[in-house]
Amino acid sequence: MGKIVGIDLGTTNSLVAYLDPQTKQPKCITGPHGSTLCPSVVSLDPDGNIVVGESARRRLLTQPERTIYSVKRLMGRGVKDIQDELKLFPFRLDPSSSNVIRVRLGEKVFTPPEISAFILRELKNWAEAFFGEPVDRAVITVPAYFNDAQRQATKDAGRIAGLEVLRLVNEPTAAALAYGLHEKQRGKVAVYDLGGGTFDISILKLISTQEGDIYQVLATNGDTHLGGDDIDNLLQAFVHEKILQTDEIDFSPHGEIAQELRKALIAVKHDLSKNESATLKFPLPNGKMFTLEFTRGAIDALIRPVVDRTMGPVKLALADAKMKPEELDEVVLVGGTTRTPLIRRTVQEFFGRAPHIELNPDEVVALGAAVQANILEHGVSNMLLLDVTPLSLGIETYGGAVAKIISRNSPIPASAQEMYTTGVDNQTGIDIHVLQGERELAKDCRSLARFTLKVPPAPAGLPRIEVRFLIDANGILQVGAKDLRTGEQHSIEVQPSYGISDSEIERMLEESIEYAEQDFAERQAIEARTEAETILAATAKALANPQSSALPSEERAKIDSAVLALKESTSGSDYRLMRKKIDELNGATQHLAEVMMNGAVNSVLQGKRLEDF
Amino acid sequence: MTAPSQATHSDYFAVFGLSRKLSVDLTLLEQKFLQLSWKLHPDNFVNAGEQERELSLKKSSELNDAYRVLRDPLTRVEYLLEIEGERKEGQTKQQAPPELLEEVFELNESLDELREAKQSGGDLIELKGRLESAEDNFQGKLEEVDSKLESVAREWDGAVEAKADTAARKQIFAGMNELLNRRSYIRNLVANVRKELEE
Repeated sequence: MGKIVGIDLGTTNSLVAYLDPQTKQPKCITGPHGSTLCPSVVSLDPDGNIVVGESARRRLLTQPERTIYSVKRLMGRGVKDIQDELKLFPFRLDPSSSNVIRVRLGEKVFTPPEISAFILRELKNWAEAFFGEPVDRAVITVPAYFNDAQRQATKDAGRIAGLEVLRLVNEPTAAALAYGLHEKQRGKVAVYDLGGGTFDISILKLISTQEGDIYQVLATNGDTHLGGDDIDNLLQAFVHEKILQTDEIDFSPHGEIAQELRKALIAVKHDLSKNESATLKFPLPNGKMFTLEFTRGAIDALIRPVVDRTMGPVKLALADAKMKPEELDEVVLVGGTTRTPLIRRTVQEFFGRAPHIELNPDEVVALGAAVQANILEHGVSNMLLLDVTPLSLGIETYGGAVAKIISRNSPIPASAQEMYTTGVDNQTGIDIHVLQGERELAKDCRSLARFTLKVPPAPAGLPRIEVRFLIDANGILQVGAKDLRTGEQHSIEVQPSYGISDSEIERMLEESIEYAEQDFAERQAIEARTEAETILAATAKALANPQSSALPSEERAKIDSAVLALKESTSGSDYRLMRKKIDELNGATQHLAEVMMNGAVNSVLQGKRLEDF
Repeated sequence: MTAPSQATHSDYFAVFGLSRKLSVDLTLLEQKFLQLSWKLHPDNFVNAGEQERELSLKKSSELNDAYRVLRDPLTRVEYLLEIEGERKEGQTKQQAPPELLEEVFELNESLDELREAKQSGGDLIELKGRLESAEDNFQGKLEEVDSKLESVAREWDGAVEAKADTAARKQIFAGMNELLNRRSYIRNLVANVRKELEE
């Protein structure tokens, strides 16, 4: 089985980290350019090769039409959603874009998950070079306030990059995990995470128990389109205006000069985090040198609106957690943008305590992802993460209103059942529209999926179909239905409102492998073998447990023969055969799983260890 | 051997090993929630077979749903009525409870006046003041309903302990339904007032 890593797939930079087995501390992996930061920039060179990271970032200046940055802003979104970003970012959309965006790089067209997959594959390469071993599984972080479509798009990106995504972890939660391990913090913690393009605030409780440490998220809020990019945009607009006044040059915000200026301004911004003033010197196309002196006071006044916008979500998250700012024990700052002195000051004043900045704000999320990757790799551990869903889940009712079925900040996995019946005789379908968001009308919420529930013809009101909506531990929706009269399970084909289909992902995976020059069948065989090893180990572990003796002997025999058959298949290279044998073993162990889990639950309910708590 | 994956729903009280009583020790509930989370959370089953992974997803979501519902006294009462098959949302939701009729009438008048004044640019300060005190008044009534709900919850627990008969239980349920409906009516009212005041 290959190695497992934690990945922070950021708007501006991405990182990959692992848990050092000696020190038990997470560490970021350094890339070929000597930095742990991989700029989230992708470029297609004229020969048709994909270039990622620092080399691609340099091409922003020389080949802007073949290069893309901040693609995270497009993940899980449709053309209508991104009209505002189009004014500010040089995204070149292909006319075929609709609910799935397609971006043009030179002569080729890619979806945002494909572009993100190039970044993931680059990080995978970094890690494989570092370990000298293949890497096939990852925990990837996402903004806590990402909706279902944005999460699904991130998971798709992982698949396209040839990574099994073990879990999507919320960025502020990952940061809390890294801090908890590092600082041994306990109590109530607020994580304020302002990155390149997204803002999150999470309120957590860190609890020590007999079994280990629990990181329980109480509430989260945020804005998936608020970050350092917005500060850069404000600065850029301000300087464009100045140049227009003094030199009467009005250059398009998307061209090469604009990119040069943006780069120079980011340097000024970084300078101002350390010094009280900084000077912008920028050569204009007319041969003149444009010079502008910035003081920290002036820049604070400029960026104040961005900082103020973060405080709304902070207050909402506190209200949902039923807490006052002064009740928190710790405040943690995460994300490169929190280096801005105005932000540090604002957060400190609001919570009345100095925020933690001990861990590198660029690296802390990736470090936490590596911690969670290690937890998942070993199955059971002395740390447990309990997260929540950031947005309420609802279904459309009569008149375009929304009935909330799972409220925001519910612990996940979470589920809700709804009963449906027909309104007219022999009606054969019921339309269901699932939404996410806090507003009362369907048109103001985010559409997740529409589907038609198939109903056997019957008199009106007689059919009773129970639909189960489930938000899994990744924050992604699953839907299932059951006919209560027949007990029949219905599989529901849910076509997401924003997102790519499974078959499209398969195609993208194959194409991306072409870029990676690896044989498809070989890759599939490796994946099937990995999965076989997992299930064989799990079965062996379960059978070794004394509770498994409750299993009838003929069932035990069936499992043993399925185990043998699977083992035999893995020595060959036929991935289809391996998959078949995996399914057979899964079938044979169904009852075993139930026996084990009931045993575990009963031990808790009998209160055996309650007093040790 | 019971096969939980085939049961449609578990009773949320039973998930925590509790009887259907409304007084719940929240500290103990949280402790059990955390202990069961250690056992059931999908993170523990990443390397397990598909069956176990699915079972863990089902069981941990059920645990989280149960915790979400039982930790809040209001959803706890609603849930009890639901599993007892006694929840009656009724027509009363849209109708003012009789004893509130007069005050609701006055409130609606003030709301109308405020909307008119907003359009014609009239004096808002006096009207807003009147609405704010009405809001306070209804807020007080909400607290009254909540404390009545608490006492009817105690009544229910007593009935369970005394193994009271069906008729007695039905009477308690009727009281709960009425209080819940009154509560949601007043809440809507307050929300409407607040919306007008904020606009």
